[in-house]
Amino acid sequence: MKKPLQTLWLTAILILLYVPILSVILASLANTRYMRFPHRNWSIGAYTDAFSQHETLVLHLVSFKVAALVTILSLLLATLGAMAFARYDWRGRSIYQKLVVLPIFFPQPVLGLAMLLFFSALGITPSWKTAVFAHLVWILPIVTLVISIRLFGYDPAQEDAARDLGASRWQVLREVTLPHLAPGLISGGLFAFLLSWSNLPLSIFTTGADTTLPEWLFSRVATNYAPVVSAIAVIGTLASVAIGLVVLAALRMQRRAARQSSSASASISTS
Amino acid sequence: MNPRFLGPLFMAPVALFLLVGFATPIVIVGWYSLMEPRSFGLTSDLTLANYRSALTEGYGAPFYWSILGAFVTTLSCAVIAWPTAKMLHARAGRGAAVITGLIAVPIFVSESVRLFGLSLFLMPGGGILAGSLKALFGVSIGTVLNTKLAVYLGLLYVHFPFMLFPLLLGVALIPQDRVDAARDLGANRWQVLREVELPLALPGLAIGALLTFVLCIGANAESAILGGQAVTVVTRAIEQRFSYAQDWPMGAALTMLVTLVTALVVFPVLSRVDLNRLIRR
Repeated sequence: MKKPLQTLWLTAILILLYVPILSVILASLANTRYMRFPHRNWSIGAYTDAFSQHETLVLHLVSFKVAALVTILSLLLATLGAMAFARYDWRGRSIYQKLVVLPIFFPQPVLGLAMLLFFSALGITPSWKTAVFAHLVWILPIVTLVISIRLFGYDPAQEDAARDLGASRWQVLREVTLPHLAPGLISGGLFAFLLSWSNLPLSIFTTGADTTLPEWLFSRVATNYAPVVSAIAVIGTLASVAIGLVVLAALRMQRRAARQSSSASASISTS
Repeated sequence: MNPRFLGPLFMAPVALFLLVGFATPIVIVGWYSLMEPRSFGLTSDLTLANYRSALTEGYGAPFYWSILGAFVTTLSCAVIAWPTAKMLHARAGRGAAVITGLIAVPIFVSESVRLFGLSLFLMPGGGILAGSLKALFGVSIGTVLNTKLAVYLGLLYVHFPFMLFPLLLGVALIPQDRVDAARDLGANRWQVLREVELPLALPGLAIGALLTFVLCIGANAESAILGGQAVTVVTRAIEQRFSYAQDWPMGAALTMLVTLVTALVVFPVLSRVDLNRLIRR
């Protein structure tokens, strides 16, 4: 295909992907009872309404608690899981590699329902804490894969070299293994947070009396139109975009620092 | 320590967690599905009555719809994602990275927000599309909202990135010199695609298709937000068993049937794909 045609195709794909998101933003910019685009009176009234509601804060807090815990727990577990996935060669590794990704290839609402029965059989009342557990089942395998991709590019000989030079096991972990893994951990953490923050199908069944942001939006969206719903959708999305940008900036800085330190050590060794 | 022991040691926490969090719930659902109809405990006599009624009481339509929807969506996603992945792969550098990043962002915007946006866009009268056309060109258009087509559009829209990203990894496995060699030997475009590119990119295509298919089988937000009453998807039918009908064993039996369909698709594909090759750079 010719280059201009390719550019046209890619532009069209991007526009189509963003049209719905843009639609929510446009809809949020008027405070009328019925959706009537183009708006006669553009206003940010829906946003002031959203910020004045206590519910907005509560929804964000619940989503944040769940996503933050999911991020921390999945990073801890997935780092170990990724070592077994990509770093070590052992009997049964190929079976483990297939089994550990199975939850990704399972319909989420079905998983959510199964979890609900599981909690009820154990006599556990669902709340945001059970949602953390449910999210982990789906997100942990994804984070394990993300960290594994990074680990595959890792040369274990570096560890041997450090040990030969007299580094202790702890020093090897802190100064060789972890710095190399850092970009994988940062992007894995970002995946975990954002996927949990935006998850709908698992949350619906497993949060009990608590409500996350996507759940609340789903229940409102399916019933009737109100500008404040669009405004809260935009606020929640912007919050996650902001977190994503901060993490990506951290990733860049970390990369630059790594490059500088490696070029510094190179210049020391050559001089 | 010997790496032969380190592997199992590092694997243990994850494996244990998934055994409790993933395998056990499925076993419990399986057990529930064998209980007497409309019982809530886990102690009645074992019976296959739920499966018998699942197969005879008109659940065929939701199953048929969900499987057909998943199939059509997977196919359309593949057809759109293939040229996209090849274009992105061919353009090296910053531009391609930015476009890839922009395609990835919507994955992290909640399904409820994106589908809500799509419904606002398609809304008749004062919707974003209909309203703009009316204001700019004086053209009035109808709407596809609350039809099956709208549900398909929603499925396609939500799942496209899940096809594209594995496919990008797959397309990266095609060495350009093989394509050039095939061309030099006189293969036409179609032959290159069928005999060189598709087989080489197959791991990525298979994973993308699997992901899309499975996610679509379970998808219910699309039909709830965009479909109105046009379709009952299988997860909705199951949910109704649990909530309105208060018939947990029946819901559990339907859940097990969906699990079975999923397993029949997932296991053959996953056992043939080498994940190491796909994600190792």
